[in-house]
Parts: sequence; structure tokens; C-alpha cells
Amino acid sequence: MASVKLEGIRKSYGAVEVVKGIDLEVADKELVVLVGPSGCGKSTTLRMIAGLESITAGTLTIGDRTVNGLPPRERDIAMVFQDYALYPHKTVYENMAFGLKVRNHPRHEIDSRVKQAAETLGIAHLLDRKPSQLSGGQRQRVAMGRAIVRRPQVFLFDEPLSNLDAKLRGQVRTEIKKLHQDIAATIIYVTHDQVEAMTLADRIVVMRNGEIEQLGTPDDVYNTPATMFVASFIGAPAMNFLSATVSGGHARLAEGGRVPLGALAAILSDGDKVKVGIRPEHFLEESNGDCTVTGTVQVVEPLGADTLVHFTVGGETMTARVAAQTRPAPGTRVTLGCDPARIHIFDPVSERAYRPQAAQERHGSMAVEA
Amino acid sequence: MSGAVHSALRLKQRRDWASFMDPSDRALAFWLLAPTAILLLLIIVYPVGRLVWTSLHNLSLTSGLPAEFVGLENFEIMLDDPIFWAALWNTVLITIITVPGALLVGLGLALLANLPFRYRWPVRLSLLVPWALPLSFVGLIFAWFFQSQYGVVNDILMRFGLPRIIWFNSPEWSFTAICLAIIWKTSSFVGLILLAGLQTIPRSLYEAADVDGAGRLRQFFEITLPLLKPAIVVALIFRTITALQTFDIPYTMTRGGPGTSTATLAMYIHQNTVSFLDLGYGSALAVAMFVLSMGVTVIYLRMMGKGH
Ligand SMILES: Nc1ncnc2c1ncn2[C@@H]1O[C@H](COP(=O)(O)OP(=O)(O)O)[C@@H](O)[C@H]1O
Ligand SMILES: [Mg+2]
Repeated sequence: MASVKLEGIRKSYGAVEVVKGIDLEVADKELVVLVGPSGCGKSTTLRMIAGLESITAGTLTIGDRTVNGLPPRERDIAMVFQDYALYPHKTVYENMAFGLKVRNHPRHEIDSRVKQAAETLGIAHLLDRKPSQLSGGQRQRVAMGRAIVRRPQVFLFDEPLSNLDAKLRGQVRTEIKKLHQDIAATIIYVTHDQVEAMTLADRIVVMRNGEIEQLGTPDDVYNTPATMFVASFIGAPAMNFLSATVSGGHARLAEGGRVPLGALAAILSDGDKVKVGIRPEHFLEESNGDCTVTGTVQVVEPLGADTLVHFTVGGETMTARVAAQTRPAPGTRVTLGCDPARIHIFDPVSERAYRPQAAQERHGSMAVEA
Repeated sequence: MSGAVHSALRLKQRRDWASFMDPSDRALAFWLLAPTAILLLLIIVYPVGRLVWTSLHNLSLTSGLPAEFVGLENFEIMLDDPIFWAALWNTVLITIITVPGALLVGLGLALLANLPFRYRWPVRLSLLVPWALPLSFVGLIFAWFFQSQYGVVNDILMRFGLPRIIWFNSPEWSFTAICLAIIWKTSSFVGLILLAGLQTIPRSLYEAADVDGAGRLRQFFEITLPLLKPAIVVALIFRTITALQTFDIPYTMTRGGPGTSTATLAMYIHQNTVSFLDLGYGSALAVAMFVLSMGVTVIYLRMMGKGH
């Protein structure tokens, strides 16, 4: 296994720059997830690591080798493609064995590796089938098997679960996590699904428009999102944002709500406009007086385990996740409490999170590094 | 001819279904297939039947006599006819040489046209040109290319210090010239079919093979060629059948000469029916050609069936 280091990696297609300088160090045996909306450059970044796309600028190191100019086969990586890219005319066995055969591994070794991987993935009974005779989930496993048998330094996954139905996706996600624990491999995993990112990652790289928006552990990006973009991208339902004005150590909301600024009061002055971010799951049903949000109920969605209440505050739409039995009537006014420790305050212009002064100096104005 | 390919496929599939179906499904299948079957009957079976029927008659328009049923007499004459055997042999030889030749050149052209050129359309357009030219026109052009006095081929040979060849005086050189013309003319059609086949192969397979460590040559033999097999079989069927019917190019280049050294079966049929107006014998020759074509098609379809 090996570490992977991206330094100032860029990619341009003609005059269009789609990856705009990525700096990232993936440690040995680490699982890093690149997550972001469609078109933000995740696949392009991954394909540059694989060697399937040339690197316009920057340095890519795998292990202790700079691999910028090396073709994929000399980078000692394996990749699981979004469409699986199984060889349709080869059997499952031949698909998995191909990479080893090409590299002239002895026949008995190929055989034992393929069978072992097939056993691990629960596809041992499918080895004689052709890909067209497999279900989506089985194909996905074959694609992973083909990567595993190679025992490469680094595994690259490009949205490997996006062609599976929701139930299977959850199941295979768990299997991938277990696999990572079992084979202790370095994995770079691309997805647009924040749930996959949160559940799988040792560290998450949130990308936007070809740049890293924030890099950190799942807890980091969830608890201390650096920007409104990260805050709304990570977590579901997405974080609520409310316009507010600073006054007397509080951010005052429309309709009489307010949240305490705490340590941030020192760097904000009365009259400053801010955006207050509150996650749906961080509302309290009991208002504690100092941290409150008041609004008008629009729609109530009971989910069984809990209830989503959609309400408006001065024209801005909010969602709160409340106890299952809480069912306020549409049209009524509600006052919800909030935990001051779980309030996020953003600059509405730069869309960056304010941090208490000490923290701000330590981290600079950029993302919180892990 | 695609009708023949289709009906052969259809027969094969019907046999496969039959084992799964219960009797009421079979009745339904019969009625659903009936309109197609009738159409095929009208456009294929009737003309072929008519041809076979004529071949069993002595029908020569020059004799002025009414058609007389003679059984297999025309076929007996055919088997004793040295010109028939010469023409058949030439036809088979042209097929054996030009079909693989066009396949190889066509594959090369298709691979070339499939390269990620910045401007692909001129490449693809040039691939179309030989295909779009009329056969007899190609024959005339090549007759001129190989012309002994002013032809460009001899001109090139002499520039390299090689002796000039009087192409159309020698059976072997005439045959060579004809085969070259046919390969030039037909490889673009093969190329088009194979290019269409190449484009159905997903790019990600090559990327997976890149990552797996396979080089270009290995990718060609392990991915391109196997996945191109259906397109190759289709190209082979079409190309072989047209090769067995070769007429225009030798007709315009050599008229079958010197002697009968470049005469083909189609030319001999043409001579008997159009020049000699001997429809009975011409039909017998045509039946022979039809049997040959069908035989080859069945062999190819068997080959294709085995691959699946
Ligand atoms: N071959 C290409 N030529 C031009 N633009 C491309 C090419 N490949 C990708 N792009 C562009 O690069 C951007 C990033 O693409 P991609 O990395 O596939 O995004 P993601 O995987 O995050 O959805 C997109 O805007 C896409 O249109
Ligand atoms: Mg992508």
C-alpha cells in the first residue's frame, strides 16, 4: 500500500479549466472520499490519478514515485468504474483474472487469488457466467473483485454504487467499508452522495467548481463546515439558512427569533448582516428563551421515526426534525429552541463561516484542515 | 440478400422458441408470423422458384421454339461445360482473395477512421468515396490505371526501375489487377460496417484494460477483435455474396479475357441470357450461383451462432 500526494493538480480542456489546483495528501491505508455536485471535477481528478487523463499542471506522487508521465499500468492502481466496464465477452473468472494474466502471474496463483476474492465478495458461484447474465449488484461485485485480485497500491472508485437501487446501495456501502477494514488498502472514492461520503470516509474532500471547498473528517465537515456550500451539501435534510442582523451579542431573526453569538460577538458589530445556519436535527422543541426561532408552519411530514416540519421565518423556508409525535397544524405559529453550540454563523457575502478569533488565526480564513 | 440472412436467422430462432412454447402460444406465433411469411414468400420464394422452374426447361429465345421441359438436362450440360468450370473457379478465387483482402484493408481503414482525430469527418468522408462510386466506373478507372502505355501503375513501376507490365495480356496479371480493383472498391464498405461496430465498443473497456495493464496489441486481440466479431460476420456475409456475384469490374476491365482467364460466373450467366438469349441454361447457372451463396451464408451464420 502507499500514500498518494496531489500538489497543485490542474486540468484544462482547451481554454476551460475544470480542475483548478488540488492539494491533497492521502495517507497509507486511508479512505478519502471526494464528494461534490455533478460536474465539479471529481471524476477528472480521479482519472488523473489513474493516468487515464493527462495532468495539465502539478505533481502527482504515489508511494515515493512521481507518476505524472506514467501510463495507468505502471502506476500500480486499480479502478472500479461507474459503469463497471466489465469485458462482456469474458466470464467473471476471466474478467477478474485478466489483469493478473496480462502481468504474467503464474496460473495457480491467478487461480487462488481469483477464487479467494470471489469468496470474499460472495460471487464464487458466478465465476463461469458472462457479465450479461448477472444482476447489477453482482456486476458491481465483479468489478470490485477485478480490482482486489490485483492487490494494487491504491484503489480508485468512481461512483461505484450509483447504478444500484437504494437498498442494495446501502448494503454494498457497508461491504465496501468492511472490505477497507479487512484489506487495509489506500482508497480514493468519488461520489456525489454525501451519505456515502459521511459513512465511508476517514476524511472527506468537498469539491466545488474544480476546487477543494473543505477537507476534513466527516465530523469536521458536519460540525464545522467552512462555507455555506459545505454546510448545505453535507447533511440531509440540508442545513437551514436565515438572514439576521447583529445586535447586542445576538443575531436577530425576523419574526422575533434570535440566537446568541457567543465568542463571535467579539468579531461582529451591531448592524452587521449575517446568515445563521441551523441543521434541521438541531432544533429543540423546548425553547430555552435565549436561542429561539419563530415561524409559521407550512407542511408537516411524519417519517415514522421522527417528523419533518417545514415552516417559514420572514419569507425564508426552514425545515426542523422533531419528535415523531409532534404534529403542529399547518398555518400555526411555532417557536423552536436551538442549541447555541450548534449554531453556525456565516458571512452572507463571502459565504464563509465566522470562527472565534483564536480559531480564526489558527486556521486562517481557509477551510479547517484535519 | 439481407432477406435471405433474415429468414435464415428467423428459422433458427423459431426452432429455439418452439421448445419453450405450449400449443396455444404456437398457434398465436403462427398467426403473428403469417404476414411476414407471406411477404417473404412473395419477394424471395416466388422469384427463386421461377428461376428453378426455368432452369428445368429448354428455353432459348433465338430458337423461337416454345419452352420444353427437359428435367436436369441444363445441369448435365453445365457439369460438362469447361467454361462453366473456369468461370466458377475464377469466381471462387476472386472470393478467396478479395474477401479477406477487403476485410483486412477495411479493418485498417475502420481503425484509422476511429482514431481520435481532431477533424474526423474528412477521414470518414474519404472512407465513403470508393463505396459511393459505381462499380463499372471503378472498373474503367482501374483499366486506365493499369493501361500499359499511359497507365499510372506502369509509370510508377518504371520510376522505380522495374520493367513495365502489359497487364491485360497476361491471365495472371489481369487477375491481379482485377483483384486489386475489387479490394479497393469494396474495403470501404467493409470499413464502414466495422467502423459502426467499433463505435459500439465502450471506451471504458479500453480504460479498464489500460488499468489492468494490457498494451495496445493485447487490447486489440482481447477486446476489439472479439467484440467486433458480429460486425465482421455481417461484413463477411455481404462481401462474400457480392464477391460470388462479381461482374462489373472484370467486365469493364477485361471482358473476361485473355481467353476466359478472368471470366466470372455472373459474366457467364450474363453472356448466356443476354447475349445468347439461352434463358434455360442461364437459369441453371444462376441456380448454381444461388446455391453457392446460400451455402456460404449458412456456414457464416453457423459460425456466428457458435460464438454466442
Ligand atoms: N473530455 C472532456 N472535454 C471537455 N470537458 C470535459 C471533459 N471531461 C469532463 N469535462 C468537464 O469537466 C467538468 C468536470 O467533469 P467531471 O470530472 O466528470 O465531473 P464530476 O465527476 O464531478 O461529475 C465538467 O464540467 C465536464 O463537462
Ligand atoms: Mg463523475
